[in-house]
Amino acid sequence: MRGLVANESMKIYNRKLTWILLLLLVAITIGASVMGKINSTNTENWRAETTQLVQLYEERSKITETPRTARIDNENKLNIAKYRLENDIPTPPANPWSALLTTAGLIEMVIIFTIVIAADVVAGEYTAGTMKLLLIRPHSRTKILFSKYIAASLFAVVMLALLLVCGYVTNALLYGFGDIHITDLFLNQQGQIVQQNVVVQVIKMYGLSIIPILSYVAIAIAISTVLRNSALAVGISMFIMIVGNSMIDATSKFEWLKYLPFANSDISLYIFHIPARPEMTVGFSISVLLVYISAFSLISWIVFKKRDVSI
Amino acid sequence: MNQTPVVQLQHATKRIGNRNIVNDLSFDIPAGEVFGFLGPNGAGKTTTIRMMAGLIKISQGDVVINGHSIAKDFNKAIRNVGAIVENPDLYKYLTGYQNLKHYARMVPGVSKTRINEMVEIVGLKEKIHDKVRTYSLGMRQRLGIAQALLHHPLLLILDEPTNGLDPAGIRELRNYLKRLAHEEGVAVFVSSHLLSEMELMCDRVGVLQNGELVSIQSIQDFVHKGGASRIFVTVEPAQMEQAKRLIAAADKTALPTEHPGQLFIQMNKQEIPKVNKLLMNAGIQVYSIQTKEQTLEDKFLEITEEKKCVD
Repeated sequence: MRGLVANESMKIYNRKLTWILLLLLVAITIGASVMGKINSTNTENWRAETTQLVQLYEERSKITETPRTARIDNENKLNIAKYRLENDIPTPPANPWSALLTTAGLIEMVIIFTIVIAADVVAGEYTAGTMKLLLIRPHSRTKILFSKYIAASLFAVVMLALLLVCGYVTNALLYGFGDIHITDLFLNQQGQIVQQNVVVQVIKMYGLSIIPILSYVAIAIAISTVLRNSALAVGISMFIMIVGNSMIDATSKFEWLKYLPFANSDISLYIFHIPARPEMTVGFSISVLLVYISAFSLISWIVFKKRDVSI
Repeated sequence: MNQTPVVQLQHATKRIGNRNIVNDLSFDIPAGEVFGFLGPNGAGKTTTIRMMAGLIKISQGDVVINGHSIAKDFNKAIRNVGAIVENPDLYKYLTGYQNLKHYARMVPGVSKTRINEMVEIVGLKEKIHDKVRTYSLGMRQRLGIAQALLHHPLLLILDEPTNGLDPAGIRELRNYLKRLAHEEGVAVFVSSHLLSEMELMCDRVGVLQNGELVSIQSIQDFVHKGGASRIFVTVEPAQMEQAKRLIAAADKTALPTEHPGQLFIQMNKQEIPKVNKLLMNAGIQVYSIQTKEQTLEDKFLEITEEKKCVD
């Protein structure tokens, strides 16, 4: 099994496309972190600044046609800012950990790149005709498919780790290494404002994101196996991802949508307490995604095992 | 050496829809034999190979390799098989060596030494660390053979192996395959439409047409048995008409060819002295009598034509 995974990884890392994606990931991470620094304001007088923010958030909350997620996010920020002033809790100094939370949206890029690679691991072998020589070895098709899953998932985790490390290093160069005991105000599951360790939040954000990323690995490989076409697999997976983002607001209106992967694949909704529905928790989302991962894996397994290889 | 055949096809049938692509195919290949599999395009040669390699399901019957059914005991059966199916489709973005390493990792017990040995045998030492993308078709064919033989298979299946090889390469391959079979006892199954090649390479040939085995016999029998030879008799041009009449009187048909004085007669070789005597006695000057053996190609066309007429 280890040999099979080594083979699949060799095939992933020996392609130019992979290195272009990794390079892009590094460049965009550095770029986003630097942009964050340029846009950040100086926090010498946190009181004056927070007062200013409260005004800004109040202005924004008067605009009625903002999407639900943005509205709630604004509300949360307003509440935290007010709480900060009332309880005299200063904003934490600029530090790499808080910056990593701000740039957590880049995880979406990891998902896109993962889709590009995962969509090719099965379909690519059909297109190139290499599937025949791969399957006439003393290994069951189950094992071969599974090794492809593992290699694609490992690649996704490598990209996520690269994003984290690269983001941290860039921000550390900008703000210093940062205190690992640093705390900030967050809303907990019940919507109460509490002080929490920022590093723990970063670990939660990036760590839990592995599950949505793996669900896209499963979707991309399933489509790739069934259709044997990488381009279609990339296209459909991306479409699901893009539609998924716009489905978060719809989920607040239709309860059954919460059982689809869409509104469950963004962990930041839970870090910043903007769940699509009040009853949805991070545990619920992870469970839903795990069910989808199993379902998609099952589909690709059945198809891959049964199919006649005639191209 | 094992007395049971290395591979046994037992009423192997592949049905797609209502059509039998391959119908009730039964034959054995013993160790140490080069078996040629002939047939026009679309006869079902590649489908048969795919069944033998476990790439497609067998609708009816079975293929047994070294005592193990490919359908029921895939891993044990396929361990003894090395193959190129259709084209030598290898990973173009990997080097030749990486390709071999890839396949070596999939079978236990293939050492680095063995890889290097195979590289040496197929004559790719200079280019083995180049990307396969840069290889010519002939080089890919060689690499394909190297990957098929890495694990010392008992059965080697090659689909159109001389494709893309130059004449010197073809001769080299032919000698190598013969040596492999006759000295190392490998059963070699070769499909081809290059009939002249088969004549020089195979011990036995099977002819497939419309998915059915229409003939299976040793190469000597296949070429020589039955069937009249083509005899060319050259006489003094002025006496040609007389010679023609004499031969006609002996119940043979002599046809003039484009060469002056040459007559074409279809008859058994044993009859040559009789005809010669007839002509001599009549005072006809005979300059030469040439026998053209029927080539495999003639024989092949004959068999497949006959079959068509019967159908």
